[in-house]
Amino acid sequence: MTLVANGDDFTARLMNDMDPALLDFVKDKVNSFIKWDLVRFFYENPNTADTIENIAKYAGRNAAAVKPELEDLVESGVMEKREVEGTAIYSLAENEDMRDLVDRFILACEDRHFRVKAVYHIIRGMR
Amino acid sequence: MDRVRTGITGLDEMLSGGFLPQTANLVEGAPGTGKTTIGMQFIYNGITKFNQPGLIITFEEFPLQYYHDAAEFGWDFEQLEKDGKLKVIMTSPEVSRLDVESVGGMIETSVAKMGARRILVDSITHFERLTQDPVELRSMEYSFINGLKREGLTSMLTRESPTLFGEAPHEDSNVAFVVDSYMLLRYVEIESTIHKALLMLKMRGSDHAKDIRQFEITDQGVEVRSKFEGREGIMSGNPRRMVDSFVEAFVKR
Repeated sequence: MTLVANGDDFTARLMNDMDPALLDFVKDKVNSFIKWDLVRFFYENPNTADTIENIAKYAGRNAAAVKPELEDLVESGVMEKREVEGTAIYSLAENEDMRDLVDRFILACEDRHFRVKAVYHIIRGMR
Repeated sequence: MDRVRTGITGLDEMLSGGFLPQTANLVEGAPGTGKTTIGMQFIYNGITKFNQPGLIITFEEFPLQYYHDAAEFGWDFEQLEKDGKLKVIMTSPEVSRLDVESVGGMIETSVAKMGARRILVDSITHFERLTQDPVELRSMEYSFINGLKREGLTSMLTRESPTLFGEAPHEDSNVAFVVDSYMLLRYVEIESTIHKALLMLKMRGSDHAKDIRQFEITDQGVEVRSKFEGREGIMSGNPRRMVDSFVEAFVKR
């Protein structure tokens, strides 16, 4: 019998009681703290539509740091991007399933245990 | 002609029944005078009393702030958004201008999907950061306002006044010339107490009250009361009793 679990076993134990959809959301979509901040911001202000520079200001972060994270969120379908006269405008995806997932993630974050698991997973993914 | 009623006690009577449809209506005042409250009430009453869905475009305050502020008056903006009757859109002047000018933008889409009839733009002052050129600014504001009219919206635009009392200094923006009506909110000091005054300076194509009214922000929202009696110089912020002015002009000589 193994007395000390290795890192993967520990992670697996941490994640195995998570809602699979939310686990995938954390693993594949909200896999950084900036993305987490952005998702929370858009959850609270769901009809925001603006440029990277302005969204960075709203989030109180540097535009250069926000840009790749927003692009990732667009890539993963959480956000939408449209170009108007050469200006890129970002907003939360209109897709109802995605909005529902965002809602469920933020509501799940109210539970401390879920937050700890999500934080652990993000830190692990950043290594 | 049908009027777009604000549903605000005393205000519709000043407006001869309400705003004219598809017009742009400016509300100007110093911080805390109640511009945003009047705007939110215009939108809320539109939805709940007149079945006219509405949009709020905010350039600075987060939508969350509107939800909290509205809740103080018992207006559940979050529920209205869930019901598809209201949309609080946070954006910037540059994006909103591009949006209105483009086909299939968020305002056009919201009008089509929600049947929005009213819009609050809070505040148009932020357009001033787009250009230093007053001619270009007026052109931008004119185009934006016309875009809202094209969508069939009756708009209320707030504008920040930098002065708390008295006359505002000359500013570059000429938006007051572009809009259809112009409402001025002012603080007034009377016997060491601050009151709030409201004046309709202009209402294109309609008669309107010319007197200066007192108004208050109650727990139900804004209520416009009677006019200031027996005083002059209200909009200067330091009114005097008319009898004192008379004595000064004709007796103390």
